Amino acid sequence: MVNRAKIKELLNESACSHSKDKKPGEGCDKPKPGLAAGGCAFDGAQISLFPYADAVHLVHGPQTCLGASWETRETLSSYEGRDHTVMGFTTGIRTNDVIFGGDKRLADSIDFIMKEYAPEAIFVYSTCVTALVGDDIDMTCKLGSEKHGVPIVPVHAPGFVGGKNLGSRLAGEAVLEHLIGTKEPEFTTPYDINLIGDYNVTGDMWQYLPILDKIGIRVLSSMSGDGRVGSIRTAHRAKLNVIVCAKSLITLCRKMKEQYDIPWISVSFYGKRDTAFAIREIVNALGDEKLIAKAEEVLAEEEEKLEARLKPYKEMFAGKKAVLNTGGNKAWSIASGLQDLGIEVVATSIRKSTADDIEKAKEYLGPDGILMKAPASEQSKVIDEKGAHILLAGGRSLYTAIKKKISFIDVNQEKKVSYGGFEGLLNLAEDLKSAFNNPVFANVSKKAPWETVSMEAE
Amino acid sequence: MEVNYAIELSKHEHKPLQINPIKHSQPMGAALAFYGIRNCLPLMHASQGCASYTKVFFTRHFNEPIPMYNTSVSDITAVLDGGDYSILLSIENITKKNKFKPEIIGLHTTGLTETKGDDVRGVGMHIEIPYCYVNTPDYEGGMESGWALTAKALIDQHTRPYDQVRPNKLLLLPHVSMQPVEVEKIKEMCENFGFETYALPDLSTSMDGFFGEQQGKLAQGGIGIDEIEVLGNCATVVSIGSSMRIAAEALLVKNPKIRHIHFDHLMGQDMNDNFVASLMEIRQIEPSPSVKRWRGRLQDVMLDSHFLIGSSRFVITGEPDMCIGMTELIQSVGGTIEAVVSTVYSPVLEKIEAKKVFVGDLEDAKVHFKNADLVISNFHAERILHIDEQSHAGLVLRGFPNYEELGNQLKNDQLYEGSTYFLLEIANKLREVKHHG
Ligand code: SF4
Repeated sequence: MVNRAKIKELLNESACSHSKDKKPGEGCDKPKPGLAAGGCAFDGAQISLFPYADAVHLVHGPQTCLGASWETRETLSSYEGRDHTVMGFTTGIRTNDVIFGGDKRLADSIDFIMKEYAPEAIFVYSTCVTALVGDDIDMTCKLGSEKHGVPIVPVHAPGFVGGKNLGSRLAGEAVLEHLIGTKEPEFTTPYDINLIGDYNVTGDMWQYLPILDKIGIRVLSSMSGDGRVGSIRTAHRAKLNVIVCAKSLITLCRKMKEQYDIPWISVSFYGKRDTAFAIREIVNALGDEKLIAKAEEVLAEEEEKLEARLKPYKEMFAGKKAVLNTGGNKAWSIASGLQDLGIEVVATSIRKSTADDIEKAKEYLGPDGILMKAPASEQSKVIDEKGAHILLAGGRSLYTAIKKKISFIDVNQEKKVSYGGFEGLLNLAEDLKSAFNNPVFANVSKKAPWETVSMEAE
Repeated sequence: MEVNYAIELSKHEHKPLQINPIKHSQPMGAALAFYGIRNCLPLMHASQGCASYTKVFFTRHFNEPIPMYNTSVSDITAVLDGGDYSILLSIENITKKNKFKPEIIGLHTTGLTETKGDDVRGVGMHIEIPYCYVNTPDYEGGMESGWALTAKALIDQHTRPYDQVRPNKLLLLPHVSMQPVEVEKIKEMCENFGFETYALPDLSTSMDGFFGEQQGKLAQGGIGIDEIEVLGNCATVVSIGSSMRIAAEALLVKNPKIRHIHFDHLMGQDMNDNFVASLMEIRQIEPSPSVKRWRGRLQDVMLDSHFLIGSSRFVITGEPDMCIGMTELIQSVGGTIEAVVSTVYSPVLEKIEAKKVFVGDLEDAKVHFKNADLVISNFHAERILHIDEQSHAGLVLRGFPNYEELGNQLKNDQLYEGSTYFLLEIANKLREVKHHG
């Protein structure tokens, strides 16, 4: 069942910085009719849990929910068994299920999946229609779990309860309630951490995990990039929760602090400074002198290597100015990466950014940086005023760049390479180099013959 | 011909769920149809997720900015509101914020709002902008039917009755799997015969990959509502694809004098011979030299490719109207169709003479991949085909979605010309997998 009290609580997360300036009860994002273009709660829940490759993700709903959303995200996995992140499972309910209820179809589907695929767990997602007709997903999951002896986790995040953010919080709740603390790890170390909120899109995690490894930090479990159901069940034994760029899972961390006394920190692994900062935050929080010293040693080594490889790019990018128009935490995280490459970020968008994000953006861009509230209309003026050389934005802004005859990078398209960690910074540098050097932007802004040739009668 | 026992099977489902679905929903078909209407504001009556998924889906498939709005049904409106309020508020919010005036609002439902039972018809009384509503629950039908229902609704609700016809005026009703450039080519063919030609929906000028200053706030290009209003004086309506018959029939209600000609598809020599013959009969003129030359080229390529295709086995997955066209074209040069795996049931499937024809998902299709030399399917098949190396079949990407390749809207498989290129593409692919594979 959709739990209204829980939703209210999640919308008013006290650990969330932007709750401060709101009236009690006002809470987070409420979709406005007609204007909301983002994903639904189910979308957010699915994104949050989907990287568990050893679990099957079963969408209990009609066709749109899964049909348009499977195999769209590059959440890479190192799982050696059958990788379920590249598969789609849906009950695909029909008219009859709407009239008579879909519980039987769901129960049969669970049996079918266990028989044919035998996953470590099944996540069952309720969606708008199945929540509205009142299918008893909790009961069906419970019975399935007892019958098959693996966790079958109901995820109550039907689209109509809210946006993506809320959905990922609800996913966190489901994991907390049904998985965390249900198994003991084989062994523990004083340097065990959980990673929360990195989904390993295009392998982002793999850019920084080797560094953590070198220092001697062990990732006990992950929610959920390259994660395993078995290990998240042991997450209650970690010494520290590390949230990566994800505001939405703060509630989960707060509750794990309350229930298991695990402290948490929030970090980002974009760019050189952020990555180094993140690593220092982690070792400081773990509070072991030897570990801190080791981290400094590894960082010095890594940074030196990185600097050498960045040098040619920095020379190439000297004096270049960029305008950044993208959402949420990318507003400052990509800015930070660009600055690490020696590019001046003259403006960034703060549309859809939280109070925290705006603070960070201010800090990164400095007093002269422009924070655009309505980038679609502002960016063109800013490019002229500041003499920017490149625009990094979503696909729609391509025309702005072409009109201004400057280079362009689409930062909102599903990306194919990772910009995370030290290695990712080099990927970003390569992309920038290609954009700066590509003549296409100049070529497509040329006039057509029928715009230039005059055809007066002889 | 073998017995189509599998069709029977698929009418009664043989498993409770879909694993790796190929099916897409009715609301998505409706949304796509509204992109083919000029200055249309496509408005999905749904919670925001459906619209957001649909937008991303088509943005990635077409590589174009996609206009898409929704009524953001929330937990409160989901239970209490009859729909009116959120629909009206959405329209007000959207038009006020963007300061534009759509020529028409295309409103359609989803599973959620159908379950609620919202009255999308009645709300029209309160809307000043021309308005079209369609009921498209996503627990019924699929993309193909959503598209067809929308074409029908536009005619039902907006085309005026007539009792006269304009002899040279022609309306094309293309099925959902036709790419923008395919519609353009068929329009051109009709225009070459001297017809004043319209298409409904018309993606050929809106989703066609044309580099203009599109902003993606409203549908660009496409057929105008003013043009839809006066379709009743067409002399001829051509439906292509069995799903589109309902739209043609809706037009005949407006004016029984209209001549309706139907083709299940326009792939291969036979169907195109029929098509050209019909146009010649009506106009009493010869086709242009280029049409004749393309027929010759098609025949030449049929001969050249028949060795390879004739000794090969195929599996085709997709919307029914697309599947029958490809099947018949491949069979016309001797290819063996191992299986046709369709997204939904359609009566046209009964006409397909393949070894197996059934409604299913890619998990079902996979079983047949190992017997195939070539699979024609969407982008999802790529990974499945190569997942356990059982199959050495090649893959030609067709249908929705194709996130992998660029230029989907410019792929042409229709008429003599497109059929020629299609045969060449599959023959070349076969050569690659058979000889080098
Ligand atoms: S809004 Fe509801 S019906 Fe639509 S995709 Fe989300 S959960 Fe599914």
